Amino acid sequence: MDSDTEAYLLLLLSDSNLPTGSFVASAGLESYVTHGFYSSPTPSTPRDKMDATMDFLQDSLRSYARSALPFVSDTHDVIRKLLADSRDASLDSVLEAVTALDDLYESMTLNHVARRASKSQGVALLTLYSKGFSKPSTRRQRQAQVIMSHPADDELSWETYAGAFVEKLKLRIRQEKTHGHLPICWGVLTACLGLSLERSQFLHLFLHARSLLSASIRLNTIGPYAAQQLLLHTVKPLVEAEALKSKTLRTGIAGGDWRHPIDEVHHGPAVTWPLGEILAARHDLQHSRIFNS
Amino acid sequence: MDPGTGRIVLRKHGSEATFSELSYVYPLKLLSPRLSPQNANAVYVLTYGGGLVGGDRVELSVVVDAGAALVMLTQGSTKVFKNRPGHRLSARSQGTLSDAVTTQSLEVSVAREGALFLLPDPVTCFRSAAYNQVQIFRIDTSASLVLLDWVTSGRKSLGEEWAFSRYYSMNEVWICDRPLAKDVRKAKDARKEKDVRLVKDVMLLEEQEPVHSLPLRTLADSLAPYSCYATLIMCGPLVQSTLRSLSTEYAQVTVFKHASPPDLLWSFSVIGDGTACVVRVAGTETETVKDWLGERLAPFEGAMGPDLYHRAFG
Repeated sequence: MDSDTEAYLLLLLSDSNLPTGSFVASAGLESYVTHGFYSSPTPSTPRDKMDATMDFLQDSLRSYARSALPFVSDTHDVIRKLLADSRDASLDSVLEAVTALDDLYESMTLNHVARRASKSQGVALLTLYSKGFSKPSTRRQRQAQVIMSHPADDELSWETYAGAFVEKLKLRIRQEKTHGHLPICWGVLTACLGLSLERSQFLHLFLHARSLLSASIRLNTIGPYAAQQLLLHTVKPLVEAEALKSKTLRTGIAGGDWRHPIDEVHHGPAVTWPLGEILAARHDLQHSRIFNS
Repeated sequence: MDPGTGRIVLRKHGSEATFSELSYVYPLKLLSPRLSPQNANAVYVLTYGGGLVGGDRVELSVVVDAGAALVMLTQGSTKVFKNRPGHRLSARSQGTLSDAVTTQSLEVSVAREGALFLLPDPVTCFRSAAYNQVQIFRIDTSASLVLLDWVTSGRKSLGEEWAFSRYYSMNEVWICDRPLAKDVRKAKDARKEKDVRLVKDVMLLEEQEPVHSLPLRTLADSLAPYSCYATLIMCGPLVQSTLRSLSTEYAQVTVFKHASPPDLLWSFSVIGDGTACVVRVAGTETETVKDWLGERLAPFEGAMGPDLYHRAFG
């Protein structure tokens, strides 16, 4: 894919109006605020809200990168292999591999609120792909296709294949044979669109950070201008650092197991912020709340 | 047997369970206390010198036979030192940097209607220590598991607050719908297909590298104000009433806006088909967490026996 097309895709995917369900998720931020973590250890000097927001964002992003990015990467790899060599790889075997990744993510995501949010956002991404990113089918185009006798150029077969795969995966999720978690579906979406793995990883972390800042604005802890300042000056180095650190992490179950058990200890997914887990799981206990997670 | 390895096999003969194997090699030490008959069988997992140093590897395999119940305890927290104080470096810890990591691994299989209560004291990693713990459980569908895994911030009296270099802990629980092989190693090869991974809980706590142009956020900053984090995983028929009462208690909690973080925080999540759960607890003091757990797990006094329950939470 040429860089112009990739840049155009990035513009589309980073649009905050995309119906991905992230606008009802705060990834534990609302609970963090309610439980008094924006307060200052010394009541005489109130805590700077921008500092508190960045602290949360940093801890949350680190844990999310370490636990979810290996799943994005493995799913992306699996789908890219399918699309690169569609004649050899069977759709069903790839479906099995993606389901195994989805199962593993389910058994590693041990807080029910995060699980719920991850599933609803994941499914929304697949719907976005099949409804929002497939080729529009107007009457004029349908007529044009009839006239073209052999439309089977590379691009068309790629799209057909990717589309068929996404439909099969959606069906499995509807039948409750798999879960449709966010990192898995993000890997599917970006690989089907032809985005490189590196771009996909970076954008996934950026969107996590940006949706936390959007949640922060809705919670009225920081204003929209402050959020923009943070996004440009503070989130950038943070996302870059985490993307660099996590880009080689893998789950160990796709494309052969770890060669050595110690690999998993060093390169496998892990939660790095247990406090964030507890606070996120306590979301539903809040007396009043505006987010779903 | 290699240094640091051990093996526990608990067999049931008639109504009585006995250890058909209880073997260990330095620095690991296993002790089975004499208890009055209303108690389950128990093993203390100990290390010489009361701690582990960089390079130590402990590998323990445990088999619990059908219908038997085993309680595994420690005596005081598992202390992880970078080097053993006052001792010259052992031959094994003089190697490369990666050898300086302390590793504990545990493989357990519990046969039908068996039970394992793994209730150690918390792990305490001292300044600069690096620790990996990998625990894998294969549990029959009719067996029960109570698994407590907890960590403290270090020696508070010396001002250590999350000052170790690395703490990695993995707990993987498989539910097995088939007779378990007598040997853990064979069971491992025979797994697949029918085994269902119930939980894979992986926690990694390590000091962060500074990010360019941002103020350093330390591990202690991220985990404050708490100095003890616990994870409790429970499944099987013996835990159902405790699971229900925790679920009820959790549902009754209503959080209003706090002025500052509370001294203890806990969460409860149901997993799998609803008959298993994960509980996480954070507390400003280890004792607060221990008291909280002891109260919630009091119903297990029946299955464990009164002496063992009090040894674990007394």
